[in-house]
Amino acid sequence: MTTRTAPSEISPSLRLERARGRAEVAFKTREGATVLDRLFQEGQAKIRLPKSHGRDPATAVLINTAGGIAGGDRLAYGARFGAGTRAVVTSQAAERVYRSSATDGSLAGEVTTWLAVEAGAFAEWLPQETILFDGAALDRRLEVEMAADARLLLCESVVLGRAAMGERVENCRLVDRFRIRRGGRLVFADTLRIEGAPGEILAGAATGRGATATATILWVAPEADAGLEALRALLDGLESEAGASAWDGMVCVRLVHGSARSLRDDLVRVLLHIRQADLPRVWSC
Amino acid sequence: MTDTTADLLTLQVWLSPAFPVGGFSYSHGLEWAIEAGDVTSAASLEGWLGDVLLHGAGRSDAILLAHAQAATAADDLDRLAGVIELAAASQPTKERRLEATAQGAAFVRAVADTWDDGGFADLLGRIAPRFPRPTFEAVPWTHAVAVGVAAGVAGIALEATIPAYSQAFAANVISAGVRAIPLGQSDGLRVLRRLAPVVRRIAVEAMTADLDDVGGAAIRADIASMRHETQYTRLFRS
Repeated sequence: MTTRTAPSEISPSLRLERARGRAEVAFKTREGATVLDRLFQEGQAKIRLPKSHGRDPATAVLINTAGGIAGGDRLAYGARFGAGTRAVVTSQAAERVYRSSATDGSLAGEVTTWLAVEAGAFAEWLPQETILFDGAALDRRLEVEMAADARLLLCESVVLGRAAMGERVENCRLVDRFRIRRGGRLVFADTLRIEGAPGEILAGAATGRGATATATILWVAPEADAGLEALRALLDGLESEAGASAWDGMVCVRLVHGSARSLRDDLVRVLLHIRQADLPRVWSC
Repeated sequence: MTDTTADLLTLQVWLSPAFPVGGFSYSHGLEWAIEAGDVTSAASLEGWLGDVLLHGAGRSDAILLAHAQAATAADDLDRLAGVIELAAASQPTKERRLEATAQGAAFVRAVADTWDDGGFADLLGRIAPRFPRPTFEAVPWTHAVAVGVAAGVAGIALEATIPAYSQAFAANVISAGVRAIPLGQSDGLRVLRRLAPVVRRIAVEAMTADLDDVGGAAIRADIASMRHETQYTRLFRS
C-alpha cells in the first residue's frame, strides 16, 4: 500500500492533533429478537443505540465526535451480525472530509470498516453521505464477510462540495473501496477513485457529465435478482441518472446527479423500495 | 534476454480481432451511450472511450493484467488466484461480467488448444483446484487476466503485453462504434491513433501500480452497461 502513512513518520506533536477512533458493535438473537451482544468504542468513534420503535430493526448509529475527517485521521468501524439477526448500522450525520495538507495521498484520512454477517442474518450498512471539501483526501475501505445465505444491503454516497453553498472542489483524492466476500469467495469488488480535479474527471459522458454526487447501492440476497424489474421501473422515475444490474444473487445500483439534494432524495426512494421500510430516523433529522 | 520479435509475433496473434474470443459481439456499454445520444461522432467516441481507458476498465484491466502476468512469471499461485478473483468480482454489471469472462474463457481455451508447449496447460491444472469447481473452465477468467497469464507462461515482456492489450481493447470498442454509430473506417482509425497517448499512459501506470490501485470513476459507462440490458434493439451482447 502506497497510501498508508507509517506511524513512525508522524511527529508526536502532530499525532496528538489527529483523530483516532475505533468503534465496534455486535448483535445476537435472544428469544427471536435481535439484541446488542457487545459494544466497544475508543477515541473519536462512538456508537449510539437508539431505542427501537415498533417493528424497526435494531439500529446502531456511528458518531465521529471529531466532527469530520482531516488528513491523517484514522477511524475504524466494525459490526458483527450474529446468526439470524437483523440490524442496521447508519451514521449520525453526513461525514465531512476537510482539506488535507497533502492531497497526493501521503496524508489521507483513513476509514476502514469490517462487517461480519453470519448465517441467515440480514445486515444493513446505510451511512449518510460523505461530503468532500476542496483539497480533501480520503482513503476508505469496506470489507464484508457474509455467509452464503445471509443478506446485505449497503449504500455509499459521495458528494463533491456543497454546490448550494457556492463551494467548488478544485482538487481532491478519494479512494473508496468495497470488498464483499460471500461464503468465503470474493463476489463483488468496487473502487470509486477520483484523484485530481473532479470537475475534469467527472466532466465526460462516460464518467459523470458534470455530476457532483454519486451513490452505489448493493443488495445481496438469495432473492435479489428477482426484484430487478420492479427496481428498474422505479429508477426510470428518478431525477438522477441511474441503472441497475443483477447477477448471482446481487443487485448493483448506481446513481449520479449534479445536485446532492436530488441524489439523496432518489437514494432514499431506492432504499425504501428495496427494504420496504422507512430509513433510520437519523436520515430525516 | 527477451526475444522482442517472438513477443511481437505472439501478441499480434493473441490480440488480433481474428483470435477466437468473440470480441466483435461486445461494446462495453457503448451501444447504450450511442442510443442515449452521448456518443454520436468520432469526437464524442474519442471522449467516451478515453474516459473508459483512463477512469474505467481500461486502466483497471491493465493493472490486473500486469499483476496476473507477474504472479504467473513468479509462479506465485496464491497471488494469481487472488488476481483472478478480484478481476472477476470487479465487473459492476451482468453484461460487463459476461464480456470479461466469456472472452477470458474463450482466450484460455484457444491458447490451450493452439499456442501451448505444455506450460500453460500445466498452470491451468495447478490453479483450478483453488476454485470451487476445480476445472480450468470453471475458473472465472477475465480477458485481461487470461492474457496476462498466457503472456507470463510464454515469457513475454510485460511492457509489451500491457499496451498491446489496452490498445486491442480500445480497437474493439471503436469497432463497435464504427458499426453502431455508424462511422467510416478511417474515422475509427483516427480515434484509435489519437488515443495512443492514453494507452501509453495507462500502460506506464500499470507497470508499477499496486493491485489496490484498481478502480475509477466511469460511473455513466457502468450505468450505460446496466441500461443496455433492456435496450430494445441491440447488436451487441454488452
